[in-house]
Amino acid sequence: MKKPMFPILHVWWDELCEIVKDEGILIFVILLPLAYPLLYAMIYNTETQRQLPICVVDDCMSDRSREFIRRVDATPEVKIAASCVSMDEAQELMRRRDVFGIMRIPREFDLHLWRGEQTVIGLYSDLTSMLYYKVEYLAVINVAQEMNRNIKVKERQTNTTAREEDVARWPIRFEEVKMYNSAGGFAAFLIPPVLMLILQQALCLGVGMSMGRSRERFRGLVIPPTKHYKNTLAIVLGKGLVHFLIFLLMGLYMTLCVTRWFGLPQLGHLSEIFGLLVPYLAACTFMAMFWSHFIFRREDCILLFVFMSIPLLFLTGVSWPGASIPPLWKAVGTVFPSTWGSNAYVRIQGMGASLGDCYQEIKMLWILAGIYFLLTCFLYMFEIRKSVGRSLLN
Amino acid sequence: MLTPLKDIWFITRREMRAFAKRPIFLVIMFLAPLGFLWMFTSLMQSGLPTKLPAALVDEDDTHVTRQLTRILGVMEETHFVMQTKSFTEARQAMQRGEIYAIFRIPKGTTEAALTQRQPVISFYTNDTYYVAASLLMKDMRKMSEMAGLAMTRATMRARGFRDDQIMGTLQPIVIESHPLGNPHLNYSVVLSNLIVPGLLMLVIMLTTCYSLGNEWKRGRQKYLYDLGKGRIGVILIGKLLPQTVLYTIIFWLIDLIFYSYLQFPCQCGVSRMMLWGFLAVLSSQGFGLLMFEAFPSQLRMAMSACSLLGVMQFSLAGFSFPVSAMDEPFQWLSNIFPLHHYFLIYVNQCLNGYSISYVWTSVVALVAIFLLPQLFSFRLRDAMLYKEYRE
Repeated sequence: MKKPMFPILHVWWDELCEIVKDEGILIFVILLPLAYPLLYAMIYNTETQRQLPICVVDDCMSDRSREFIRRVDATPEVKIAASCVSMDEAQELMRRRDVFGIMRIPREFDLHLWRGEQTVIGLYSDLTSMLYYKVEYLAVINVAQEMNRNIKVKERQTNTTAREEDVARWPIRFEEVKMYNSAGGFAAFLIPPVLMLILQQALCLGVGMSMGRSRERFRGLVIPPTKHYKNTLAIVLGKGLVHFLIFLLMGLYMTLCVTRWFGLPQLGHLSEIFGLLVPYLAACTFMAMFWSHFIFRREDCILLFVFMSIPLLFLTGVSWPGASIPPLWKAVGTVFPSTWGSNAYVRIQGMGASLGDCYQEIKMLWILAGIYFLLTCFLYMFEIRKSVGRSLLN
Repeated sequence: MLTPLKDIWFITRREMRAFAKRPIFLVIMFLAPLGFLWMFTSLMQSGLPTKLPAALVDEDDTHVTRQLTRILGVMEETHFVMQTKSFTEARQAMQRGEIYAIFRIPKGTTEAALTQRQPVISFYTNDTYYVAASLLMKDMRKMSEMAGLAMTRATMRARGFRDDQIMGTLQPIVIESHPLGNPHLNYSVVLSNLIVPGLLMLVIMLTTCYSLGNEWKRGRQKYLYDLGKGRIGVILIGKLLPQTVLYTIIFWLIDLIFYSYLQFPCQCGVSRMMLWGFLAVLSSQGFGLLMFEAFPSQLRMAMSACSLLGVMQFSLAGFSFPVSAMDEPFQWLSNIFPLHHYFLIYVNQCLNGYSISYVWTSVVALVAIFLLPQLFSFRLRDAMLYKEYRE
């Protein structure tokens, strides 16, 4: 009786040797998953914009307007890089990109306040990046609210005791808590889904390139016309296992090492990370094997897979809120493991969720793995027939 | 005199026949850019995400807190999909990814407010979903601030103050914000406008490498050299001109859809953006060519380098996370990418309508990236004559 495991091991060993010998595949299978997470983490390492230069046009030139400017300058978000005498001068600085916002204090600023009326400060933000608007608005509104409280308590109302003053300042207190990303940083938000996406894309490129190479070498066949390549299950599992195991290592490197080195969210336990990575990588591997069937030259997979990365990142629903994605694109997103994997990873590592909390995602990953596995087996059955036909002809 | 033109035309015709034979070119050159145009514009059609799911934990449950939450419910970004009395339940829903924020009113809030004992209300946003969390935080903060002010207003009205006097007390300094160029804070204007051309530029870089490298792969590089009679300029123009024309048409189509059909803000006029689009196409071809010259005869290496750098340019262009916030080496590195310069030109011209003289360095950079491969054309010549295809 034939040993059932033998063909699997044979295919597995063949595929591993192919990968190790081929520097093109190694780039995508080893270098990309090792280096890309580091690069991305370094790009976003600063987390947020600090000390964004803005300028001020102070038409009032009063004690109070200067206090306002001083307080804005003292915020971590912005710095007053220039004080201009007119809006024209300020606009010129903005055009030259020396500053990214203009704060305009009107001539009547102090007068209005003394009269007990409202006064309006204009904030003109450059929208080169949405983040500029956010930090400028936050800095100026915080200062305005603080000064408003002071004015209200010290000048408008007559409070007799310190306690009364405090109540007038804060009739209702509020606490704002940024959960799971307390600095509100970019790296902690963007890198986790990107890590999952890198795994999927690198897998697709690696598998695609190996498939393209086989097709080139065996004149259109994805498997060599030899006796070891006659069992569908053995071929699919043997080939898949090589990529799966390599990427399991890469996945652990990303989730354990990279997150630790760069202080990224790491609330998940090892068992939960395993519980996610296994179905995720299984789904990715079989998906890669399925789509790679449509690749006939090794370089074609670069053309097809590389630029999918950016759209797939949006389909995950992490960078663009999932609740605002139209149903059509949500449906498109469901066929890619990255959509489910990124969300589950963000929750497990970033929010300390258990596997049970990610039940829906894990279930979908297993379903996808199953569907892609069957589809791949189906395609390989055809390939085996083709290869048998070819060897008969030969 | 006409011989170079004839040679160019001959190589161009040969190139177009090669396109026609390969369906992958059709997919990559036409369907992908137009598909992404459709995808991104429809994905972000709401412009600014609104009515984001949040949970309300009202432990107090009085008519006062209900009034407060009713007001919060009509805010633009917030949509309470869950009302509960248990914070744990809400937190679990957050971990399941059903909601992005929790607004919590603790027990005794009304009583403490009426007796002037400063109740504390709190809101929690899930900042792993950055955009949603930022928008919800803005709403909830405003609401919490307003709640306190509403209490003071009620007291002052009881004391007989006029409304304008009350406003002068509650909010003496008002901030009027003017987001320039994109007053509705439409994310699609910022993102679609750059991601779609960015993807096209990535496709251009890759196909430039691909079509050149294929000559080596098919062992036709010497034949191509003979066709061009050894003039690298003629060969390159002949090979890349069809792509230049095609991609320029696609770029212009994208511009027309953005600025004429979808009415995205365009201060400089569509024709000017088309000019910058053309420059971006040339510059991307230059970048692809440069990568190919770095690894002549090694198609796969050139394409790998192109794809690794090309994907990174989306981060380093600076439209999601500003370049000014990155560490200095990355600020320098961003300058080698055509997308970064196209982005600066887009902001200057299209979004703000300033004079091009303010971003002349970016225009020069795009031209330089286009021309730079000419310096290394000797590598192409050597490769054509002496190098065979290497895997």
